[in-house]
Amino acid sequence: MMSDMSMTEVAAGSAGRTWRRMRANPTMLIAVTVLLAVLLFALIGPMISPYDPYETALRMRLKPPSAAHWLGTDSQGRDLATRLMYGARTTLMLGLAGVTFAALVGGTIGLLAAFYSRLDNPLMRLVDVMLSFPSILFGLSLAAMMGPGLDSLILAIGLSIMPGIARISRGAALSVMAQDYIDGGRVIGLPDRTLMSRYLLANAYAPILTYTTLAFGDAVLLAAALGFLGLGLQPPTAELGSIAAEGRSFLFIAPHVSFAASALIFLIVLPVNMLGDALRDAADRRAS
Amino acid sequence: MAGRLAHRLLISLFVLLGVLLVGFLMLQVMPADPAAAIAGAQGTEAEIEAIRRHLGLDKPVMVQFALYLSRVVQGDLGQSIINSASVFEQIIGAAGPTLELMCAAMIWSLPLGLCLGIVAALRRGGMLDRVVMAVSVMGVSIPVFWVGLLLVQFAAKTRAFPIQGRAGPIFTPDGFPHVILPATALGLILLGPVARMTRTTLSEALNADHVRTARAKGAGPVRVVLGHALRTALLPIITLVGLQVGSLMGGAVVTETIFSWPGVGRLAVNAITTGDYPMAQGAILFLATAFILVNVAVDVLSELADPRLRGR
Repeated sequence: MMSDMSMTEVAAGSAGRTWRRMRANPTMLIAVTVLLAVLLFALIGPMISPYDPYETALRMRLKPPSAAHWLGTDSQGRDLATRLMYGARTTLMLGLAGVTFAALVGGTIGLLAAFYSRLDNPLMRLVDVMLSFPSILFGLSLAAMMGPGLDSLILAIGLSIMPGIARISRGAALSVMAQDYIDGGRVIGLPDRTLMSRYLLANAYAPILTYTTLAFGDAVLLAAALGFLGLGLQPPTAELGSIAAEGRSFLFIAPHVSFAASALIFLIVLPVNMLGDALRDAADRRAS
Repeated sequence: MAGRLAHRLLISLFVLLGVLLVGFLMLQVMPADPAAAIAGAQGTEAEIEAIRRHLGLDKPVMVQFALYLSRVVQGDLGQSIINSASVFEQIIGAAGPTLELMCAAMIWSLPLGLCLGIVAALRRGGMLDRVVMAVSVMGVSIPVFWVGLLLVQFAAKTRAFPIQGRAGPIFTPDGFPHVILPATALGLILLGPVARMTRTTLSEALNADHVRTARAKGAGPVRVVLGHALRTALLPIITLVGLQVGSLMGGAVVTETIFSWPGVGRLAVNAITTGDYPMAQGAILFLATAFILVNVAVDVLSELADPRLRGR
């Protein structure tokens, strides 16, 4: 969904005005609340949970929810709620690492393309090609080449999101390049590096940041899918996708293992995408 | 138009070359000696040497890449390390089921997404619009494997549909029930984006001058929407479907794994997890090439469908 072209307009819009419109929107409030709740669950949860996410207790296998284990236990007798807390934390970190990597590379490419018109065509052709390429193919190829694991996972997420960010940042940077102060900086003899960081990036970062934030949902979904396929982080690491995959073997006895992990992924991705929709709607209304 | 198409084709050719390079690299990073791996545990020194010469492993890397290209063009993707089967034959065998699954997913989700989008565009801002948009945002936010697992559990409880494997072509009485659940899970991926795109482009088209003219000339609402507005809105939707083939592919990999559907996606995942480098290389190469070809086809189709682009 991030490939929708109207996304460009959204991300290029003024953040302040959009935010005011957003606040009047109840869907927004729900989305932000859910997101905050999941964040708390993932960040505070591991600190207060009395259980260890890795210590197995085979006599306690696949117990249904109880007072001691709110969400029951998994196939190794580990407290599922605790596994999910650590899993959500891992998944959030993976998404964050992926989009950060994408923002650094994509942002740089976009700024370079806007600043050096010689580079524009070759860089953007490359970006166009990558933009349409299925993210799962990045995931599969990197897992095949580097072996499934953290490096290949973050690289796959980063590469699949990077092209969109490169486009956005090029667009934002181009509009900044048209400003007089860029010429002014050139005239007083500032080096390119200063012009790019102090002038260009400082004025073009807002849409890049917005788009990157909204791509977070896609990043989490990809990480979870690869984790589910066994091409992400390897067990026993608690990660939501692989917890869902572990529970798959016991789907008929203990469906809650898979379903709770999947639902948690949904609760991370949905509010992010709802925010994206609201931003887009707000921008649409402003445009019309 | 010919120039634009030629330009697109040229770019696709370069992409294909890049994909082949990745496939080649995938075989380069094989941890063990590839020739020894292919010869297997019982392979003699002479056999390994023969395989090494056949693969050109004694030559410089550039020559090896050229040899790799010529082998791929001839349909020689190597042999599986695990069971020595021909990678090419395995992939050809799995391509049919994957294509079946994707078609079965699109056949219900494209028309439904289109209808939902039309309804939402006509009642923009209304209750129906909100429901459609809510369903659409949920559709793109839900992990495919959750939908798959929910369907598996539902089917196991009700014993309504088979949940594992494929039993012959999907248009046969035996084969059809097997595709229902995987196609339902996979189609859901397309539903949201298609509904959303239809809604956006159709609302724009409904405000366009030519639609106002059609209204002014007394065309009925059905004719205005289907004959005038939707026709102009259809083009971005075709393009979107071309782009969505990518996410459909991602969904297919997951769906095939859940429902043990014997397609290329499952082949690729199994190959990667078992360290079967030639098989993984072949399957990924196939998926990437298929994706490029579909997009070239979509480009050609949209050029042909849009009279505005013809003159250029």
